[in-house]
Amino acid sequence: MLPPLRFDQPRPLRLSMAWLHTWTGLLLGWLLFAIFASGSLSFFRSEINFWMHPELHRLRDDARAIAHARRILEREAPDSRQWTITLPGPRDPTLFVAWRVDGASMASSATARAQDRANAPTGGQRRPAHGLRPETRRLALDPSTGEILKLREGSGATFLFRFHFQLHGVGWFIGRWIVGVAAMIMLVALVSGVIIHRNIFKDFFTFRPNKGKRSWLDAHALVGVVSLPFHFAITFSGLLLLGALLMPSVVRSGYSNVPNAPNFTMDIRGGRDRFNLAPPSGKPAALAELAPILDAAQNAWGGEKAGSVVVTNPGDASATVAVIQTHGNSLANRGVARRALFDGATGARLETPIEASPSAIVAVWNALVTLHMGRFATPLQRWLLFLAGVSGTLMIASGLIMWRVSRFKTPGRSEDAPFGYRLVEVLNVSGIAGWLVALGAYFWACRLLPDALAARGDWEVRVFFLAWVVSFVHAAFREHLRAWVEQLRFSGALIALLPLINGLTGGAPLFRSVVAGPWQVAGFDIFALAAGALLLFVARKVHQAEADDSPITDG
Amino acid sequence: METRLAPSSPGLPPWLNIGMRVALAVFGAYGFGVLAGAAFVRGLPFASPRDAVAFSLMLGFLLDACAVVWVFAAATVLRAALGLFLPALFLGAWLHFSG
Repeated sequence: MLPPLRFDQPRPLRLSMAWLHTWTGLLLGWLLFAIFASGSLSFFRSEINFWMHPELHRLRDDARAIAHARRILEREAPDSRQWTITLPGPRDPTLFVAWRVDGASMASSATARAQDRANAPTGGQRRPAHGLRPETRRLALDPSTGEILKLREGSGATFLFRFHFQLHGVGWFIGRWIVGVAAMIMLVALVSGVIIHRNIFKDFFTFRPNKGKRSWLDAHALVGVVSLPFHFAITFSGLLLLGALLMPSVVRSGYSNVPNAPNFTMDIRGGRDRFNLAPPSGKPAALAELAPILDAAQNAWGGEKAGSVVVTNPGDASATVAVIQTHGNSLANRGVARRALFDGATGARLETPIEASPSAIVAVWNALVTLHMGRFATPLQRWLLFLAGVSGTLMIASGLIMWRVSRFKTPGRSEDAPFGYRLVEVLNVSGIAGWLVALGAYFWACRLLPDALAARGDWEVRVFFLAWVVSFVHAAFREHLRAWVEQLRFSGALIALLPLINGLTGGAPLFRSVVAGPWQVAGFDIFALAAGALLLFVARKVHQAEADDSPITDG
Repeated sequence: METRLAPSSPGLPPWLNIGMRVALAVFGAYGFGVLAGAAFVRGLPFASPRDAVAFSLMLGFLLDACAVVWVFAAATVLRAALGLFLPALFLGAWLHFSG
């Protein structure tokens, strides 16, 4: 135990840093836990989203998607200036078509845009214009029949993804500021944690089980050190992603504030130019067959699959077709994927304009940000990113538990604890186990709420927060260890039963998906089983500690 | 461990000492990071505004974090404050007078 610290007296640096680490870690620890947990899950956003739409599990890709996409686009959006076809891939077998609705120019007036909207065919998810990005509409299609799919309304993994950088219900501006402040606090906690952790390599190989506080300290250090570079990179790049919001004065000193002037956020993402289309020639010309173009591109890449096809000025003599790979390999270039460009009228391959390589500074920025978003990742890399995120989540959780364990000696007997300690106990249970309960409840709600429910997606989110609030109340009225056991058990059961719920509510059942796909659904279900079993195992451990009062959580 | 780093700050009650350091860490360190970032954008020869702002944001956040560490590492509150305000004053004055 460190001697008590007084800032008004001489003290060694390590003691100051230990104080800083302890209190910054505690201050927003529960929020950081939720941010890290939902952020880690967001590495699998597509897969989770797909699991949450059982009506899509039957989709099979039989390589005719591109022809169906073209047929639907020619019917729904013959006058659009640009079509984007997102081909079915290993992460999501749905075929998506999207088209720009703004007519002649990007700077079209509000009335012109309103007219466009009125003329646009019905259906299609509208993605409104944002900043300089034009308005688009999107449809989900069955890749083997071309049938337009009615997606069931739901918040999907998008809720978890948005929550991890802007929270929910406080408005995006305030939410992002809170997350930004939490990220800065995390960075300070990481720096001070490294300073106090003198024997960083020796301790890495040290684990003393069943030694109460020492065990928690070892576990905390282990998950902290094992992916320390990841923790730094993910926290720092998180700040960069919110950078223009958090430090607007720095941005203003480099860019003018005039509307429509170049703007940093657009500039760093590759500039506005990508939204400016080459003007059509005005001479009509039939669009070449897309399937041979797609084959040509994939052959040129040695079989590497294309992720999307972008047709600009369809039906015009100047039409171009760009075929774009699923994921890029270059971190420095924002994971921008390779593309092959074709003449839309003749189908001939065109010279691809050479992408200017980014400056060294922008390359560093891009590498960090691309890592954060996992855009480049192959399946193995995606799992590694996810596991690193999980280790960060566990680091935060073990730190929070350690705060309690190292301060209050009698496990379970918490009635006589001072209010502050009791508050930390309650927040620990509901912030960690309770968050997992809320997550499990969210997936259950996704599958069990009736299809016809109005604003169904909002109800899913309500169930999430309701479960979280209930777990807080529960933790407040139960003995500390009892609350842990009960909430861990409940969350474990909720999550372990997800494969069953999936099979019973129209999704691909595990016994089938594990032999014949879809692999994302099999992966989700197996992971849910494993995670649920692990939670039940941890609940058992805590229960044993509670039963024989052994000092597993004692100091 | 027992090395005496510096003299104490006599006369300040402990809670006020911590309170002042927290205020310095929250507002002072942020202000310092932003000022330094803005000064880098203005003062260093970058190829483009994009380079300038990207570099300065990255350094601004790092300096913000380091400044927080400094505020709690410094021996006395006075030293913590001076360590932030003197460079900030210099940067602010330079930004102001360089137009």
